[in-house]
Amino acid sequence: MTTIDLDELLENLAQCRRCGICRNAVYEDKGFDGVCPVWKNSAGFETSFMRGRIQVALALLDGRLEKTEENAESLFSCTLCGNCTSICAAEFDPAKCLESVREVLNEIPNAVRDTIAKKILENNNPYVDENKTRRDWVKEVGFDIPGTGEVLYFTGCTAGLKLPETAKSTAKVLNAAGVNFAVLEEEPCCGSVMIRTGMVEEAKKNAEKALEMIAKSGAKKIVVTCAGCLKTLREDYSERFGLDVPEVLHMVEYLKPLIESGKLKLKKSSEIKKITWHDPCHLGRALGVYEEPRDILKAIPGVELVEMETNREAAMCCGSGGGLRSYDGNLAKKIASDRIQDAEAIDADILATACPFCEHNLKDGANRIGSKIRVVDILDLISKQLQ
Amino acid sequence: MDNVVVQKLIAIVGEDYVSTRQDVLLAYSTSASMSYDTVLPDAVVLPQSTEQVSEILKVATQYKIPVTPRSGGSSLQGEVIPKEGALVIDLLRLTEIEVFPDLRSVTVGAGINFGKLDKLLNKQDLWLPVYPGSSLTATIAGNVAVNGSGFGSSQFGCIGELVLGLEVVLPNGEIIQTGSEANPNAPGPFLRYAFGPDITGLFIGSLGVFGIITKVSLKIFKRMHHFDYNTYGFNTPQEAEKFVIQCKENEISPVWIAIYEGRILDFFLEMVGEEYGVPKYEWPPITVSMVIGRIREDQLESDRAEAQRICVEEGGHVIGIAELPKGEWDDRMRELARSSYVHGWHWRILYHHVTPSQWHRTIEEMWPLFDEFGVLGHTAGFQSDHSSYNYYPQIFFDPQDAEDESKAKAAHKELVKRLFKTGAVPFKLAPYWVDGITEMEPYLNFLKDLKEAIDPNGIMSPGTIPGIEGED
Ligand SMILES: Cc1cc2nc3c(=O)[nH]c(=O)nc-3n(C[C@H](O)[C@H](O)[C@H](O)COP(=O)(O)OP(=O)(O)OC[C@H]3O[C@@H](n4cnc5c(N)ncnc54)[C@H](O)[C@@H]3O)c2cc1C
Ligand code: SF4
Ligand code: SF4
Repeated sequence: MTTIDLDELLENLAQCRRCGICRNAVYEDKGFDGVCPVWKNSAGFETSFMRGRIQVALALLDGRLEKTEENAESLFSCTLCGNCTSICAAEFDPAKCLESVREVLNEIPNAVRDTIAKKILENNNPYVDENKTRRDWVKEVGFDIPGTGEVLYFTGCTAGLKLPETAKSTAKVLNAAGVNFAVLEEEPCCGSVMIRTGMVEEAKKNAEKALEMIAKSGAKKIVVTCAGCLKTLREDYSERFGLDVPEVLHMVEYLKPLIESGKLKLKKSSEIKKITWHDPCHLGRALGVYEEPRDILKAIPGVELVEMETNREAAMCCGSGGGLRSYDGNLAKKIASDRIQDAEAIDADILATACPFCEHNLKDGANRIGSKIRVVDILDLISKQLQ
Repeated sequence: MDNVVVQKLIAIVGEDYVSTRQDVLLAYSTSASMSYDTVLPDAVVLPQSTEQVSEILKVATQYKIPVTPRSGGSSLQGEVIPKEGALVIDLLRLTEIEVFPDLRSVTVGAGINFGKLDKLLNKQDLWLPVYPGSSLTATIAGNVAVNGSGFGSSQFGCIGELVLGLEVVLPNGEIIQTGSEANPNAPGPFLRYAFGPDITGLFIGSLGVFGIITKVSLKIFKRMHHFDYNTYGFNTPQEAEKFVIQCKENEISPVWIAIYEGRILDFFLEMVGEEYGVPKYEWPPITVSMVIGRIREDQLESDRAEAQRICVEEGGHVIGIAELPKGEWDDRMRELARSSYVHGWHWRILYHHVTPSQWHRTIEEMWPLFDEFGVLGHTAGFQSDHSSYNYYPQIFFDPQDAEDESKAKAAHKELVKRLFKTGAVPFKLAPYWVDGITEMEPYLNFLKDLKEAIDPNGIMSPGTIPGIEGED
C-alpha cells in the first residue's frame, strides 16, 4: 500500500526536461556554487545527480529496468537535500518526487533501509536495543525534568543516544530562560528516516504511536533540536498522516524572541572568534528557517559571523540526510569533508549547526581530513555563554 | 561490450570511472533533447586528462567501437544520444582553467560550464560575453561543438567567433593544438588564424564527428557595467527589422536584441512577466526588447540617444518598459530554461539563423504550418551576430500522448524544408537539417571526404551528421 497517486507522480516526473542544471551549476547571482553534493563527491556518472536518478526511476516504474537492488542504487545514493529543487527551472519538486519514488518502489530489496525500519519499530530508535538509556543525560543536568508538562523538549534519537551534550545544553538553556519543560519518560523516534527511505506505512504506524505518547505528556508546544524531527513532526505528521500535532518549534525559533527580549542573557565569548553557520537542509531549504540561528549567533557578544560560499537556499548539504549516512557512509563522510573545506576556505574557527545528524557527520568529515575546525551544535554554544 | 575492451578502459582511467551497469547506461541513453528515442550505449568512461582521452580513442579505433563525446548533455536536437553499442566518453572531469590577462584570453577544459567560468572571470572584472540559455549546465566545449550562441551574441557573435584555438584528440588518438598555441613557445592563445587554414573552424559546430575537443581557448573581455534596458514598439515587422539593422549599422552596442510578435510576447509574459516585474501594457504588433551594454557611461549615453532616434526615424515609438529586457538579461543564465519549462509542455526545437531583414519570414512559414499540422507552439529568438538572428521555434506536445508527439515530429520535419527555402541556415548539421537540405551536394560531398580522411573507421559520433558518412 502506498499513499502516492502514481499518475500524479508520473506527471510530475515528466516535468523533468533533463537539462542537467541540477548537476554542477554555478550561478553566482543566486549563490549556487555547485548543486548536487553526491555528484561532486563521487565518480560523477549521470546516475549520481537528479537528472539520472529520475531517468532510472521512470525506467524502474515502467519496467524498462529490472527492479533490482543494484538498479535502484541511485534512488538511495541521495541525501534528499533539495538543492536540485532549489535550482530546477521546471514546475515540480524533484527531491520530493524521489522520496515518493522510494515509497512506490519499496518492494525493491534494500537491507539497510529494512534494518533501520525494523529497529525503529522494535526499539523506538534506530541505534540501540535499550531505548530507556536515551533519558540518561537527564541525570547529569543537576535539576529535575518531569515527564509531563506544557512545553515538551523532544530530544530525538541522535541527540538522546549519540550526542547527549546537545540535550544537556538545551536543558540548561531552557532552565536559564525560566521555562518549565518536560522530556518524555520513554521517547519514541519521530520516524523521519522511515519516511525518507520510503517506509511510509511503517512510519505512519510509528507516528500514531509517537503522537499518543506526546499527547499523554500534556504538551501544548514541542521544542526540538533536530532539524529532521522538526520537519517530520511539523510537516509530515500533519500533511502526510493527517495527525493533529501541537505547535512544533526548533529551539532556534523558540530562543530568538527570548534572547531579543532579554529573558535569556548571553555573555561575551572569549574563545569564539570567527563562526560560520551550516544550514541543515531540513531546517533551511525545507522550512525556510535561515535567519533565526544567524540572529542568535550575532547576539553573542564578540562573535563574528562569516558566511560560507554557499548558504541559505543554495547551501551545500552535510551529506548525512535521506538515509545516505547508513546507505553509503564513506560517501556521506566525503561530502561532509567537502563542506568542512567550505568553512576552511573562509578561515572559520567554528562551524555551528542545529541538527545532530549534521553535527555528527560533519565531525567525521572534519576528522577525515584532519581539519582543526570545531563543529558544534548551536545549543552547546549558547549554553556556554549563559550569564 | 567485449570484456577485453572494458579491461583496457579500466587500465586507462581506473575501475571507478568505467561503467557497464544497466542503470548507468540508461541514464546516458538520453539528454535534454525532447522527443528523440533513447539508445543505450555499451559503456561509459570518464577520463580525467587529454592523455586519457587519447588512450581511450586509440582503443576505440583498434576495436572499431563507435564513440559519443558527451559534456553537459544539454543539447536539444538528439546530438548526444549515443549509437547502439557505443562508448560514451563523459568529459566533465576535464576541469582546468587558465586565464591569460595580458593576452585577453582564457583556456578551459572540456568539462567547464559557462556559470563556473563566469564566476571566476567576474572576480577579475572580466567575462566571456556569450551566455547560452543553458549556461548553468552546458559546457563551453559542448557549445563550441554545436556553435551555439546566447545573451551577448547580439554584440559579440556566436561562440565560434570567440574561439582562438582548440586542443583536439583525433579519432586515432593523436592530440593536436590549433591556433597560436600550436607554437609550443607561444605565451598562450592570442590568434586563431595562425599556421595556414582555419583548422579550428573544422571542429566548431562539428558535433564531435571529427574528434574530441579537450580544451578551448577563447577571447575574454573587460566586463561591462553600464547597461540601458528599453523596449521599442512598431506596427510592422519591417519597421522593427530596419530598426535592428540600423542599430547595428550605427555601432550601437546591443548585448541583447529580441524581436517579439504581439501574441508571442503575450505568451512569454504570461509565463515570466510577473517574475520579471513587467507591468501590464497594451503591447504593439511588434516589440523589440533591447539591452545596450558599454564599458563607459558616456558611450552608453550616446548609444541610448541614438537608439531612440533610430526607433522614431523607422516609424516606431519608445515604449520605455525596462523590466522586460532587464528581466531577460539578469536571468540570462536560466531565462530560456525558465520560460520554456514553466508552461509544462514538452517541445521539439528548431534552431536556425536568418538575417534580421528576413525575421518575418520564419513567422510567416511557422503559423500556417502549425495550423496545417494541428500543433501548438511558438518561437523566440535574438540577434546573434553581425547580421544574423537566431530563431528557435518550439513545437509543443504532451509527452504522455504518442499521437501528439508524432504530429510534432512531422511538423518539425516539414518546417525545416520550408525554412531552408526561405534562406535560413543551421549553425550545425543536426540530422533533420541534412534531411531538409537540397541543392548543396558539392558541399556535403566535400565534408564527406574530410570525414573519411580524418575518421576512416567512422567511429566518431556515427549518425550525428548522416549526410557526410560512408555508405555502410
Ligand atoms: C534550457 C536550455 C536552454 C538552451 N539554450 C541554448 C542557447 O541559448 N544557445 C545555445 O546555443 N544552446 C542552447 N541550448 C542547447 C545546449 O545547451 C547547447 O547545445 C550546449 O552547447 C550543449 O553543450 P553540452 O556541454 O551540454 O553538450 P552535449 O549536449 O553534451 O553535446 C552536444 C554535442 O557536442 C558533442 N560534444 C560535446 N562535447 C564535446 C567535446 N568536448 N568535443 C567534441 N564534441 C563534443 C556531443 O557529442 C554532441 O554532439 C539550450 C539547452 C537547454 C536545455
Ligand atoms: S530535475 Fe530540474 S534541473 Fe534537474 S534535469 Fe530535471 S528539469 Fe533540469
Ligand atoms: S536532493 Fe541533493 S543529493 Fe539528492 S539529487 Fe538533489 S542535489 Fe543531489
